Amino acid sequence: MFTQFFGNYLLNKGLVSAENLAQALADQKNTRLKLGVLAINAGFMTAEQVDKVHAEQQRVDKRIGDIMVDMGFVTRDQIEELFKTQPSGHLLLGQALVDSGVMSNAQFEQALASYKAENGISDADFINIDDNNTNKLVAHFYKFKDDSNVKYLTGYLTLLLKNLVRFIGDDFTPMDADYVQDRVLSECIGQKISGAVDAMTVIEADSETAVKFASRFAKEEITEYDDYAQACLSEFLNLHNGLFAVNVSNEEGNELSLDPQAYYDTLNLSELKNAYVVPVCFSFGTVNFVISI
Amino acid sequence: MSKDLKVLICDDSALVRKQMNKIFSSQGISNIFEAVDGEQAVIKYAEVMPDVVFMDIVMPKKTGVDALKDIMSLNPAAKVVMASSVGTQANLKDAIENGAYDFIQKPLSEDSVVKILEKINE
Repeated sequence: MFTQFFGNYLLNKGLVSAENLAQALADQKNTRLKLGVLAINAGFMTAEQVDKVHAEQQRVDKRIGDIMVDMGFVTRDQIEELFKTQPSGHLLLGQALVDSGVMSNAQFEQALASYKAENGISDADFINIDDNNTNKLVAHFYKFKDDSNVKYLTGYLTLLLKNLVRFIGDDFTPMDADYVQDRVLSECIGQKISGAVDAMTVIEADSETAVKFASRFAKEEITEYDDYAQACLSEFLNLHNGLFAVNVSNEEGNELSLDPQAYYDTLNLSELKNAYVVPVCFSFGTVNFVISI
Repeated sequence: MSKDLKVLICDDSALVRKQMNKIFSSQGISNIFEAVDGEQAVIKYAEVMPDVVFMDIVMPKKTGVDALKDIMSLNPAAKVVMASSVGTQANLKDAIENGAYDFIQKPLSEDSVVKILEKINE
């Protein structure tokens, strides 16, 4: 989940454009991590040292790891450790941005350090990603106007992001939750939740994005925004809401029930109470989720 | 696996019906029937008398649990497997108390569906 929030951070700080970020998210699957980015991430080398190594590599015919050791920046053991690093998402995203020239090594190093500092994330947290620090990260990221339902809103959105990674893909950036009272959504699918918490949930996207989202969820090629594509979006919402109800039932012993999903030609958010629009920018387009409690 | 099994899929999602159809076909089952809501599920059950029913819970017109009750009153030996994303404690309890044969938590996996079919064949 760090990847997704790191992408948002880069965008909000103006370090990358939305287009560059979408391209890097699409490219990261084919990106190979290089030792320079790994060494910066591990804190073994500074960006300046990595640039010096790259300059030296132009001059001598040696492997980059050997040059790093020869120049005294890292030890052989550290190189071995870097080779064992798992290709975690934020690194692939950073590497894709460095490879395409959008960011320099120095900018990546600075952004990573600032991101960790601003979010109170230690290096250990960064390596050992688990459910607890994912929840912490989500709670820190989303800001809500009214505190009374923060627990449910945070729980809902944490699970949403996990389900997006699980069922759609990790090439997205979550955007800030927007408290909206006067927006009209068109061609969207909604589902009511009732019980311990009464909520309205919605998924909305333009038809081209909806078709791509549906294709990924159904794991098949869908080419038109027809009833079947709508059924796929609708089932994603139902599946996510169902899993949310299971979490609430298991963790709190509170029961939630779901209404069947409904298709809306238009849906005026002013009719809903405390509606938050939560855009999620995938490499193929933006999908809006609405949660109103 | 008996290829003569008659299976009824009750789910309002065209995607889920398609996915389940694919799983049953891969097991050589061809007697597959479908219903798109709870009301249709009960009508179709009475018409087809399938060996096993896979029933969603959140559906229009009649919930899966209400359809289960109606089917069990038609045939107390009916094998109705609830297949839902809403596997809450209340829904599990409701399903068991009303005679459900089993419960599958969505997202569906081929393994979980095949295991149920094997159990029915035993």
